[in-house]
Amino acid sequence: MGVDAFVNWLRDAAGVLHENAAYLTELDSAIGDADHGANMDRGFQAIVAVLDGTSFESADELLKKAGMTLVSKVGGASGPLYGTFFLRFGTALAGVSSINAEAVGKALHAGVEGVLARGKAELGDKTMYDAWAPALEAYDAAVAGGSEVGPALTAAAEAAAKGRDATVPLVARKGRASYLGERSAGHQDPGATSTTLILESAARTLA
Amino acid sequence: MIGIVVVSHSRALAEAAVGLASEMVAEDKRPVIAVAAGLDATTFGTDAMAVSEALTAADSPDGVLVLLDLGSAVLSAEMALEFVDPSVGDHVRLSSAPLVEGLVAAVVTASTGASLDAVVAEAERGLVGKQDHLGDTPAAEAAAVVEADQSVEVVLGNEHGLHARPAARLVGLVNGFDATVTLTDLDTARGPVDAGSLSMVATLNAQQGHRVRVSASGQQASEALAAIEKLAAENFGDAPATGAAPSGSTAGGPSSVSDSPSGTADRSTAGGSGLDVAIGPAVVLGSEVDLSDYVAEDNELERLNQAVETAAEQLRELRDTTPEHGDIFVAHLALLGDRKILEAVEHAISGGSPAPAAWRDVYDELATTFEGLDDAYQRERAQDVRAVRDRVLRILVGATEETPTDGILVVPELDAATAATLDATRIAGIAVRAAGTTGHGVIVARSRGIPLITGIGEVDVQPGATIAFDARTGSFEVEPDEDQVHATIRERQSEREQAVTEANEPAITRDGKTIDVLVNVGVVQDAVDARGADGSGLVRTEVLFGDRRTAPTVDEQVETFRAIAQALKNRPITIRTWDIGGDKPLPFLPQAKEANPFLGERGLRVFRRRPELLRDQLEAIRRVATETPVHVMFPMVTTADEVAWALDELGPRHGLEVGIMVEVPAAALRVATLAKDLDFVSIGTNDLTQYTTAADRTNTAVASLADGLDPAVLQLIDHVVRNAGVRVAVCGDLASNPQAAVLLAALGVTELSAVGPQVPLVKARLRQADLSQVDTAAVLNARDADQVRGLL
Repeated sequence: MGVDAFVNWLRDAAGVLHENAAYLTELDSAIGDADHGANMDRGFQAIVAVLDGTSFESADELLKKAGMTLVSKVGGASGPLYGTFFLRFGTALAGVSSINAEAVGKALHAGVEGVLARGKAELGDKTMYDAWAPALEAYDAAVAGGSEVGPALTAAAEAAAKGRDATVPLVARKGRASYLGERSAGHQDPGATSTTLILESAARTLA
Repeated sequence: MIGIVVVSHSRALAEAAVGLASEMVAEDKRPVIAVAAGLDATTFGTDAMAVSEALTAADSPDGVLVLLDLGSAVLSAEMALEFVDPSVGDHVRLSSAPLVEGLVAAVVTASTGASLDAVVAEAERGLVGKQDHLGDTPAAEAAAVVEADQSVEVVLGNEHGLHARPAARLVGLVNGFDATVTLTDLDTARGPVDAGSLSMVATLNAQQGHRVRVSASGQQASEALAAIEKLAAENFGDAPATGAAPSGSTAGGPSSVSDSPSGTADRSTAGGSGLDVAIGPAVVLGSEVDLSDYVAEDNELERLNQAVETAAEQLRELRDTTPEHGDIFVAHLALLGDRKILEAVEHAISGGSPAPAAWRDVYDELATTFEGLDDAYQRERAQDVRAVRDRVLRILVGATEETPTDGILVVPELDAATAATLDATRIAGIAVRAAGTTGHGVIVARSRGIPLITGIGEVDVQPGATIAFDARTGSFEVEPDEDQVHATIRERQSEREQAVTEANEPAITRDGKTIDVLVNVGVVQDAVDARGADGSGLVRTEVLFGDRRTAPTVDEQVETFRAIAQALKNRPITIRTWDIGGDKPLPFLPQAKEANPFLGERGLRVFRRRPELLRDQLEAIRRVATETPVHVMFPMVTTADEVAWALDELGPRHGLEVGIMVEVPAAALRVATLAKDLDFVSIGTNDLTQYTTAADRTNTAVASLADGLDPAVLQLIDHVVRNAGVRVAVCGDLASNPQAAVLLAALGVTELSAVGPQVPLVKARLRQADLSQVDTAAVLNARDADQVRGLL
């Protein structure tokens, strides 16, 4: 898998996040500060601007640049969180000659570990980690069963969607939503939603 | 001056906050404040790159404080730390202080040139004024910050600062007035804390020499302040320095407890048999009071209050009946009555917790706080906390009184307070489960003549069962042959009596070798009490003068050394120059904090940079040497350069014999080089052992490794004897052990300096020994210390 596949992923994800910006913001307005969709859209449009003006030699360079762009442009907590994800994801691919299912798995794990270290969330805190965690598990299981990158990412995206849906009844313990306490229950977590969108995009584009 | 960075979602908010705070301070006094806020002038958001640029802009060698609003501000700031140069990142502090209030406090404090720690502390207290005004904080904390009507400044003169007992006196005094009193340590900027709460005062950790602001408000504010000033002038009731007085007060701070068995014996409470064998019913003290049978009812608070009152009665009685240890119980009483602690316990009980669990949890937390303090002396106060904890817990669960008066005490570890408060005339002995023979409690017990064995391990001992031990053979028995033990006790008693009778006879072995047995001196009284000592092989000057706040003059030192020599009938005394550092601080020679003090500036090393105190001491030693035989030795020597430097400082020797301590393995290995211009060397086995085995003897987890009879240590001693080319003495603990003394003599050591009570026994044992029959080769080649013990 070459750098083009990752460029496609980022462009596709930017498109999906743009389409879903209003939806994400609506979710965030229920339990947060009503900016998640706008923030993610701004961050990924900035990535697209970078892609339009620069060509990248390697996937790790590309993804690290994407991470740094999100850090600076998103503005909300998802900036450092997704920024860290892509930075670590890219770093894990540095020097990897053939990017296969195993390499992508390692990169996913590195990225999510970065998210955890940054956000200090635990499973059930009603955060994006509630989507990332089952996704990683499903990805690993698929690869162990012999799947290639594409099917493994599809399994991961499906698991992320289940994790996202499972955030609805949870009471938020991290982020702005935690100020709402019990009132945060009954709403789907915007972060888990954008994570699922990004993984679904990966399943479509990385193969 | 430190720099400040403000991270916010909103640039307008950040800039307004900076403006508000800046108003407080004249422009030329303001710290650099950099802002990283908003994605642009109007878009909310935070940017880690912008934060890292702000960090670099505000960077100062004194550090950078970062104040943040919420959410992504925190994540972005943490991320920014990964982007900046590590040399910048190392001194950046992200603070949880409230942004506006914290920034105002930080700007004001930073403008005074305060340290990063001090500014952080002030910023974090930023909310307190508002909370107090609006009355939405608990009373005890509110009291700590109430605006004071008046204040005074005092300087802490007592050796350990406001540690538990002086603190207890202060708290007791404060609570007698209708006034709210707070303390702020002006040297560390800690505080203000409630002076009516012992836990708060103790955690202030105010040290000797610190300036403390005492603020008071309320009806009797001025009376309270006057009384506190008076108490401070009296050093908060700490005993004045008397260590050098020939009358022999034995006030023992930690400096003397740590390494000087002879310096700590409180003679008013000495009185053990001095034997190494004991028999009696077991009094087993566990580490935990068993709470499992406690049944909670609906009057837990009442039960607790009753238990606390009962405990207070017990402590008052102990205070009044044991005047020599009264201070310990005064401190315990103050802890018991600490209103902040009581509030925390009451809070837990009202939350549904049974009284014992609530009490235990709060006290455990307090003990942990003490254990986390920098100061070793303060850390040990955790023992006081646990003692009070257990006293109340025992009353709550109906367990019996803890301090045994008869029988053999079996304890997991022996703390100094227990060792000091036992009735030595009645307790038969102490069996300690943990290994290690140099812990404070062990040293205190030994110096009080209480029979003692350590390292018995997890032997199952039922309370009341008859147990016996013989420390000489290392045996510990449950249900022993009582007749036989009593026979051994009689034998040892007569041995001891005979040894004391013959103490003044020289120690000549059966094969005709004369060994000088001398006494270690930490207070003048050690020399007065010594029976049969052929002089002193170790005068611990840092202990002699260790409880002084100011350095003794040359005249004072001369007088003290003279008193020691006279008490020993002008037999030779070996004066060791100041041996400070490691675990032995000297109040009048403060040392910088070291990460690894035992490997740091200790002993002679301390004086290479500031030789003044050493020069005074050498002058005193030279003067005494014109009147009476005196040897001088330098501690903690490693290199030939150090020896040459010390000899140069000493100047003309005249009649003085000069030597060094051999404690560092490097010194033992190259003793031939070091001793070239010397008259003798004296092996300090305690330090030589801990440096050879790389094991801290005060750390119970590894203390068993620091065994002076380890063959590796003995091989070094053997090497020193063979290569020194001068007289070799031993002045460490090993010389006080009669069996080990024989071995040392067989290896060729000709001078042994022991703790006072052991001198007659060491001499008696040497008289019975035939050194030519000691298989030194087998000892040196032994597998381990236990095998060595078997061979002795």
